[in-house]
Amino acid sequence: MEALKIDGLSKQFGGVDAVNNVSFTVNVGERLAIIGPNGAGKTTMFNLINGQLSPTSGRIHFFGQDVTALPPHRRAHLGQARAFQAISLLQKLTVLQNTLLTINGTNPHRFVIFRPMKKFEDVLQKAVDILKRIHLLEKQDESVSNLSYGEQRRLEIGLGLSMDPKMLLLDEPSAGLTKEESAEIISIIKSLKTGITVLIVDHDMDMVFEVADRILVLHYGQLIADGNPEQIQTDQRVREIYMGVEDAVDYAGTT
Amino acid sequence: MDWFVINLLNGFSYGVVLFLIAAGMSIVLGAMGITNLAHGAFYMVGAYVGWTVGVKWGAGFGLALLAGGLCAGLVGLAIERGLLRYLYKKPNEQVLLTFGFVYILANLCLWIWGGWPRAPFTAKFLTGSMDIMGRAYPKARVAVILVGLVLAIGLWWLQEKTRMGAIVRAGMDDKETTMGLGINLERAFALIFFISAFIAGSTGVIGAQLLGVHNALGMEILLLALIVIIVGGVGSIQGALLGGILIGVIDSFGRAIFPQLAMFTMYLTMIVVIIVRPAGLLGRKI
Amino acid sequence: METIKQDKEQVRWISRSAPYLLGVSVLVITPLFLDTYGQGLMTRFLIFAFFAMSFNIVFGYAGLLSLGHAAFFGAGGYTVALLKLHYDVNLFWITAPLGMLVAAFIAALFGIIALRASGIYFLLITFALGQMLYSLAWNVKWLNSKGMQGITGISFPDLGIAVLTLDTISFYYVVLIVFVLSSALLYRLTISPFGLSLEGIREGELRMEAIGYNTWFLKYVAFVVSGAFAGLAGVLFVYYNFFISPNHLGIATSFLPMVMAIMGGLGTFLGPVVGAGVFIFVENYASILSPQRWPLVLGTLFVLTIMFAKEGIGVYLWRLWTKWSHYFGSVKN
Repeated sequence: MEALKIDGLSKQFGGVDAVNNVSFTVNVGERLAIIGPNGAGKTTMFNLINGQLSPTSGRIHFFGQDVTALPPHRRAHLGQARAFQAISLLQKLTVLQNTLLTINGTNPHRFVIFRPMKKFEDVLQKAVDILKRIHLLEKQDESVSNLSYGEQRRLEIGLGLSMDPKMLLLDEPSAGLTKEESAEIISIIKSLKTGITVLIVDHDMDMVFEVADRILVLHYGQLIADGNPEQIQTDQRVREIYMGVEDAVDYAGTT
Repeated sequence: MDWFVINLLNGFSYGVVLFLIAAGMSIVLGAMGITNLAHGAFYMVGAYVGWTVGVKWGAGFGLALLAGGLCAGLVGLAIERGLLRYLYKKPNEQVLLTFGFVYILANLCLWIWGGWPRAPFTAKFLTGSMDIMGRAYPKARVAVILVGLVLAIGLWWLQEKTRMGAIVRAGMDDKETTMGLGINLERAFALIFFISAFIAGSTGVIGAQLLGVHNALGMEILLLALIVIIVGGVGSIQGALLGGILIGVIDSFGRAIFPQLAMFTMYLTMIVVIIVRPAGLLGRKI
Repeated sequence: METIKQDKEQVRWISRSAPYLLGVSVLVITPLFLDTYGQGLMTRFLIFAFFAMSFNIVFGYAGLLSLGHAAFFGAGGYTVALLKLHYDVNLFWITAPLGMLVAAFIAALFGIIALRASGIYFLLITFALGQMLYSLAWNVKWLNSKGMQGITGISFPDLGIAVLTLDTISFYYVVLIVFVLSSALLYRLTISPFGLSLEGIREGELRMEAIGYNTWFLKYVAFVVSGAFAGLAGVLFVYYNFFISPNHLGIATSFLPMVMAIMGGLGTFLGPVVGAGVFIFVENYASILSPQRWPLVLGTLFVLTIMFAKEGIGVYLWRLWTKWSHYFGSVKN
């Protein structure tokens, strides 16, 4: 069974084709990167897969199930976990509160009204374990806004993993990070269990080529290339899109 | 047949006033992202000032219109420059702040003008009636329809065809870039807000013949504006016009057929629209 | 080992509860030293503190600004009044639960309509729905005492206890008991997983959805629960006020818990209580000194709070106090 099957997916915004008739499949355990120039439709693609947007046409199958009409929270229960492009953590709440909320999210006890949160000792213990693993336990009572950007990224991805997802969606995980912090993210991704499928959108080509088994290239909403890193690096159309910009810069520089 | 036409005209004239009320609020909401609950209070200020200039001092309807609009505009400008500008992108605070001003302005009007309501008034040359299908129909109402349609076209042109509309829309989305392009966003915002309040104030004078001049206008007009916006959709002149005319006509026929139903035809329409199209009939996403 | 741990737990519980116990004791003892006017004032305070706390659930915790909260308050009150007016029912154990039920029902209905939309639209719709109820109460004859707006002729409730007829001070204690019990319930709600998820929704609905929460449903439950408790406040109100009018359904009354919750401190559990206390106090003196200018004073205070002390006057003053005491402390050294 495929982890993800995208079938003729399109998304229009008032006449603009953000995503245009894109089809591809992702196998279980694959590390798939989606790249393309700004405005190519990468984040829109993620929003369609994760449910924040509804497609204009096409279908999305997640582990054999048609999820096209499902809202995001149902997709989380089916096994999707997502890190957003702009860090989505709840800034004014503490690290611990964010962790508890993430744990509760896929747990029926999130509806409990008459028992205090702090009485759920197993949940509290799980939160401590998660925070210990990502080295943020000392900061558990700090509000997230006080954490550095790199720490917040680490927390967001760490919390995504704590959801025990079947598929992890990382939207520009290296954005705004230093070289060391990016390296940390790379090692986290590399150390993930082979059973987890990972989708990454990023502009950092070093990270992409290091981590990805397979790369999709989007341009103006269309899928123009699909292959392993070597294939993509040598693909003529891809060079035109990316290197075309570089050539223009070179030319301007020589005058 | 003439019953139908008379009620239709009633509906249109009321609807046009509703449109004007809602348009100002919708412009500010759509273009600046500001929820101004004091919009009805601006209407009220305009109505009171217009009464003083037009009726008490007898200075003529045109001047009353101008004075009402100007006063309301200045009050609006003061609130925007003094307080509201610090609350961009904070919708809850905007709502609460402007709501506080409904109380402040209502009480100030009470202080200045006293609690007794003023009789509806209109321009001297528009008093009296004209013959419509064999019935006598107030000239003033017909004038309202005509004036309103002219203003509708004017506002639509302003919204679509000028740089002003596009600039403010861009500015709401990306302030820094817009300002970096050398566009004085602060001034554009202040101007838009002033215009919106001016329209509210002048509408207060125009609408005085239909809605009177009294102290509860602040809330009453706000409610009408909200219903029209909910039905027609936020952020466009077309939405305000459609919502206004639709509500006006439905209300007019509703009262003619079921007089005891009062405002319920309006509320019913609103609920149906919410359920069927939550963003309003012509609603754009804010 | 076990007993030492238990003792420590007990000590901690006592020290944490101490301020609350103190507060409740003050509320129990003070009215004994006041005249009926003062007792009535304290009753009013408790009722509005409770009303503001119910509003705090939906606004302070869930982040939903509802401009029609009085619809539920009034619905509770009108249920009591109508039961008295048309069916001569005055038994508290019937009227109070029914009042809450009707309020919850209205909230359930309004919630479905209003939560179709979000943000600004939600706000506008709650306002319009509240005014619609006001309009209903104004126009429908069955909802009014003969020949007037509103319903009169309400008196203290009947507790069904043979020897006990309520008067001002005993009714105060009834209200106090309801207040304390309901507050405890609401408090439990705020510290539960459900309460935490409401705060999550307030801070970031997008993320909450992505991690598995059906945010619409949670908001709806918060809305209905909050409406039910507002209805209970309304029940107590009409027994205190002996009269209910359409105004108690409309925006003028919806405004009050907003002011109290915001001035006292949103998103803190007791903020609304503080806000209610300050409000009732100021309102009382304003009505003596200058009743016509009271809305002006209220509006101005409100605007100032929004601009300069958004987290509530109580929180603002407390911060000021800590700043000053640090300053003076360091100067001394």
